[in-house]
Amino acid sequence: MPTLRTEAVSKEFGGVQALKGVTISLPAGSTLGLIGPNGSGKTTLLNIIAGLEKPTSGAVMLGETRIDHLPANAIVKLGVAKTHQIPRPFAEMTTRENVSVAVMYGRRRIKDTKRSLNEADRLLSLLGMDARRDLPASSLTVQEKKRLELARALATGADVILLDEVFAGLSSDELRDSIQLFRKIRGEVGFSALIVEHVMGAVLTLAERVVVLEEGAKIAEGTPDEVVHNEAVIRAYLGFEENDSPG
Amino acid sequence: MVALAVILSDLLFGMMLGCVFAVVAHGLNLIWGVVKVVNIAHGEFIMLGAYGAYFLNVFGGFNPLLSAVVDGALGIFVGYAFYFSFLHRELRGKERITLRSEMVTLVSTFGLSLFMSNLAVVAFTGDFVGINWSPGTVALGFLELPLGALYVTILAVLIISTSVVFLDRTYIGNAIKAYSQDITATQLVGANPTKVASLATALGFSITMAGGALLTVWIPTGINPYMGALYAPISFVIVVLGGPGKMLGSLLGGLTLGVVIDVLQAFVPVSLAYAVAFLLLIPVLLFRPEGIVK
Amino acid sequence: MRIAGLGVTFFGLLALMLLLLILPFAFPFSTSVILINLLFYTALAYSINFITGMTGYVSFGHVVFLGIGAYALGASADVYGLDPVLGVLLGAALGLVFALAIGLVTLRFRGVYFAISTVVIALAALNIVLELPQLGGSQGIILNLGFQPYSWYYTIWGIVLFEMLITYYINRGKLGFGIRAIKSDEDAARSVGVNVSALKLYLFGLSGLFAGAGGAVFAWTTSGVFPYETFSLTFSLQMLAMIIIGGVGTALGPILGAVVVYLPSYYFLTVAIGTQLIIIGFAVVVIALFIPEGIVGTLKRRSASLRELLE
Repeated sequence: MPTLRTEAVSKEFGGVQALKGVTISLPAGSTLGLIGPNGSGKTTLLNIIAGLEKPTSGAVMLGETRIDHLPANAIVKLGVAKTHQIPRPFAEMTTRENVSVAVMYGRRRIKDTKRSLNEADRLLSLLGMDARRDLPASSLTVQEKKRLELARALATGADVILLDEVFAGLSSDELRDSIQLFRKIRGEVGFSALIVEHVMGAVLTLAERVVVLEEGAKIAEGTPDEVVHNEAVIRAYLGFEENDSPG
Repeated sequence: MVALAVILSDLLFGMMLGCVFAVVAHGLNLIWGVVKVVNIAHGEFIMLGAYGAYFLNVFGGFNPLLSAVVDGALGIFVGYAFYFSFLHRELRGKERITLRSEMVTLVSTFGLSLFMSNLAVVAFTGDFVGINWSPGTVALGFLELPLGALYVTILAVLIISTSVVFLDRTYIGNAIKAYSQDITATQLVGANPTKVASLATALGFSITMAGGALLTVWIPTGINPYMGALYAPISFVIVVLGGPGKMLGSLLGGLTLGVVIDVLQAFVPVSLAYAVAFLLLIPVLLFRPEGIVK
Repeated sequence: MRIAGLGVTFFGLLALMLLLLILPFAFPFSTSVILINLLFYTALAYSINFITGMTGYVSFGHVVFLGIGAYALGASADVYGLDPVLGVLLGAALGLVFALAIGLVTLRFRGVYFAISTVVIALAALNIVLELPQLGGSQGIILNLGFQPYSWYYTIWGIVLFEMLITYYINRGKLGFGIRAIKSDEDAARSVGVNVSALKLYLFGLSGLFAGAGGAVFAWTTSGVFPYETFSLTFSLQMLAMIIIGGVGTALGPILGAVVVYLPSYYFLTVAIGTQLIIIGFAVVVIALFIPEGIVGTLKRRSASLRELLE
């Protein structure tokens, strides 16, 4: 399992600097949290790593291979998969078929339909979604759709999973369940994870290291404990209130 | 000096033709930009406007300018009818038009196009007809401008500019603009999305049919049931050139196309000029999908 | 009951093709002519099914490949005296080549823009051909290929058979999953590793190949190529109507659609074809708005038992 690194990645959109030379490293098997206030560039960074956008400068490396110029589907074949912030299931296909597509077209390139469906079943079991197997994906609840996103990402056989706010919008019970589930799957399957989150509870519990972005730049990095007590980070999250005061 | 005269007159004619193309495309632009649906049967409504002008001429002695007004009024009703039969179901209560709705509208309006053009063949016969209207010419230096074409150009530009002003300065116009950017925003402005969308559609059809009437001045023998097959693609190219939803873009796209066709005609046969003009769509879509001007 | 994953529909269609294979020996020419036309329309329906039916990219200008195939046969027979069967192969080859070239550019565009660019290309092609004296200009090419109903029949039969088999091959198995994923959500498909651009191009190429072959046969049976007729958008419209009515993307849809669209027109021959198109246009509107899956799709959705049966 290779290390995923971004090296001084910058991104400019029509005059706006969304990312300013961001360098992060995701060693094999580890979990890295990526947090920051709204607009800090977290999703942009994720999109660049996944191949959905190209960096204006800098590079993304998977082990010794440079991947930032590759199309999204090629990056999946190299073992990096991303979930969608707002779930995008294949609406007219069943849950099982949704996962099967990922099994077939992911890294393992499995051609046999039956084998793919079986593998899909296995993954859905792991995620506790057996009962929803044959239902059209459009009929799933939001939480189930998020699980489907994770299932699909796993199904591609990826070593590196990029999670885009999977824990958002959950009740405290659902959140607790999801965190537990994630731990269990991480233990069983074994992958590196880059978690972009607003839900602090999830990030601080699951990540070994955390990176903090503000307005496109990295302002802090360390263990969850270190980051939480970091002055710059506290200012970043609370700072905008000061700026907003009149006069 | 003669060459210069020819070039200038070519250019001028191209621009006048372009203005008519522009108003014919403007209705499509309005609907495309606001409601975000593409009416494949657009050409057939142009045809309807043209035949409207023809029959008003034959039975009432109306000239195309007058007919444009009548057609425009009729177009409002047609537009509302179209909205409620084809679009309402797909748009009602939605925050954004889905891909599926786009496809449904694409296909259903294509069926409508088939239906209308062939019904027209049965109703009007396939004969090519035209309106004879020649109010004379006016001399502009060394150029002789046909007054009919000139009036049409003026009216065309007037229609487009009025619509721009309407969208910018009136309350309803602003509501329409709000809708085109964000459907939910319309409600924030205090307007009902359905009323706004249906009005925009009605206006679009009104302009389209008026445009069809104005077009007759340029095709004295060319009114036929299948004319939509030519003017719809022209309209699509114009809207893409000018930028879908950019109201003045119709004028820009129309002028560009008119000039290109007219200038090319000096060097290559008519058909090839049209072929090239059509193919312009592709590089624009590839490199500047928002239109040739920012 | 399935054998090697193939169900009743597959064997039913095979049986039908077998029947059609031996039919001409039992019946006189007149039946053959209806069947030739029906098979021709079926071939066109299958060809557009590959792109529009399967991916949802509406190819309004699809007739351009028909025209390319027709001119391929027309020009080669006229200038080089090429045997018509080879002309059909040439039509298929050129259809494929042009489809790949056009697709490389146009398939990057989203739904509506793709549809419009196909129309524009078809119109441009018509206008270009009108100005090419080598292709007969506006007069077209008149050929002297004679009345060969058996050759026509078996050629078009072969084309339809190939299309049917390939449709089946694609729908089962991995390709079928990828295609359905693309149709649902292209970007999400990419995010799970589907090479969307390659798959779309592959399907577009297939559709161009078979439309080209069909067009060549058209030129052969009418013994001539005439630009306005051959590049007529009416063909495109009929092709789309057939798969919309029959059911997009399915193996059975194109045949059903062809039967519904073509057969009545044979009886409408006394009335102008225009009336038939009025009805088809109306049918398309109703189906698009209320029954978007067509005959096959709707039957599959309504009845669980039929779902297994119909494909």
